[in-house]
Amino acid sequence: MSKPVPGGVSDIVLSLADCKQLLGLRYAEWCSATPTLEADIAAAAMGLDDLGHSRVLAGCLSELGSDPRGPERETEPGAYRNVAFLDQPWTEWNQFVAANAILDTAFTVMIESLVEGPVEVLRTRLRKMLAEERYHFLHGRSWLNEIGPDPAVDQAWTEAVEWLGPEGGELRKRLAAKLERPEPKLSVDWSRWDPIRRRSRPGAIDGHTFDMLRGLEERRYGVTHAEATAGG
Amino acid sequence: MTMTRVHRKVREYDVFARKARVDPLRHVGRVVAPDDDLAQAYARATYDEERWVEMVIVPREAVITVTAPGEE
Repeated sequence: MSKPVPGGVSDIVLSLADCKQLLGLRYAEWCSATPTLEADIAAAAMGLDDLGHSRVLAGCLSELGSDPRGPERETEPGAYRNVAFLDQPWTEWNQFVAANAILDTAFTVMIESLVEGPVEVLRTRLRKMLAEERYHFLHGRSWLNEIGPDPAVDQAWTEAVEWLGPEGGELRKRLAAKLERPEPKLSVDWSRWDPIRRRSRPGAIDGHTFDMLRGLEERRYGVTHAEATAGG
Repeated sequence: MTMTRVHRKVREYDVFARKARVDPLRHVGRVVAPDDDLAQAYARATYDEERWVEMVIVPREAVITVTAPGEE
C-alpha cells in the first residue's frame, strides 16, 4: 500500500461490492424474461460483469487495512450492505430499467471517484470496470428513455442519492449530468440514514437470495455424499 | 411479471470486429435496436465470443451497395 487509506474507504468498497453482487444476481434473474431477446442477452452479460466487479472489489479489501466483513454475514441477511432496491427480486421490467439506469450509474460515479482518488490499489484495479460499465450505461439510458417517468425510477434515484451519502453532492451532480436529466424532487430523511449500509430503509435481502449467496441453494441440486457413495 | 411494450420502431445494424490491429474488420453479425446506444450495448453483449480490439456497428440503411450478388 503506497499511501494511507482515508477513513471509510473500506466501508464504501464493501458496500459497492455487495451492491454489485446483488445487482448481478438481479440482472441474471431477468435473463430470460426481458421484453426482447437482445435485452435477455444484455441482462446476462451485465449480470456477469457485475458479479465479476463484486469479486474484484472484495479482493481489494485486504489491501485497504481492516476488512469490515464479519462472521455475521453467514447468518444475518441484514449484514449485507446493499441498497434496499436490491433486497427483493424485481417483479416489473421498469424496476430492472430503473436499477440499470440509475443505481448502476450511481455505482459507476463512485467507482470513477475512487479511480481518481489517492488509493493506489483502487486506482489500478477498478479502471477496467469503467470500460464495461459504459455498455451498462448505454443500455440503461436508452431503456430509461423508452419507459418514461415511473415510480421505480424515482425510488431508485432516491436510494442512489442515499447511497452516495449526505456529503455526496458532487457525485449527485455527476449522476444527473450523466443521465442528462435533472435530479427529481426527492425526500431523503438523513436522520434515519445508516452510514454502514448507506440506506435509510430497514430490511434485508430475501431468504432465497441469502441462501444463494452462501452457496446453500446450489447444494440442494448437488449430489450428496451418500448418493455419490451409493452410486460408486 | 408485467411485460412492457417492445419498441415501436427499430433499426438493423451490422456488426464488424477484429481481434488484432493488423486484421481487417470482418462482419460478425447483426443486431436490431431502436437507437445507437442500445445497438452498441446489444452488439457488445451478443458478439463477445472473442477479445476484440475493435468493434463497430453500422446502420444497415447507411450501407450503399456497389455491386450485389448475381450482378455482372
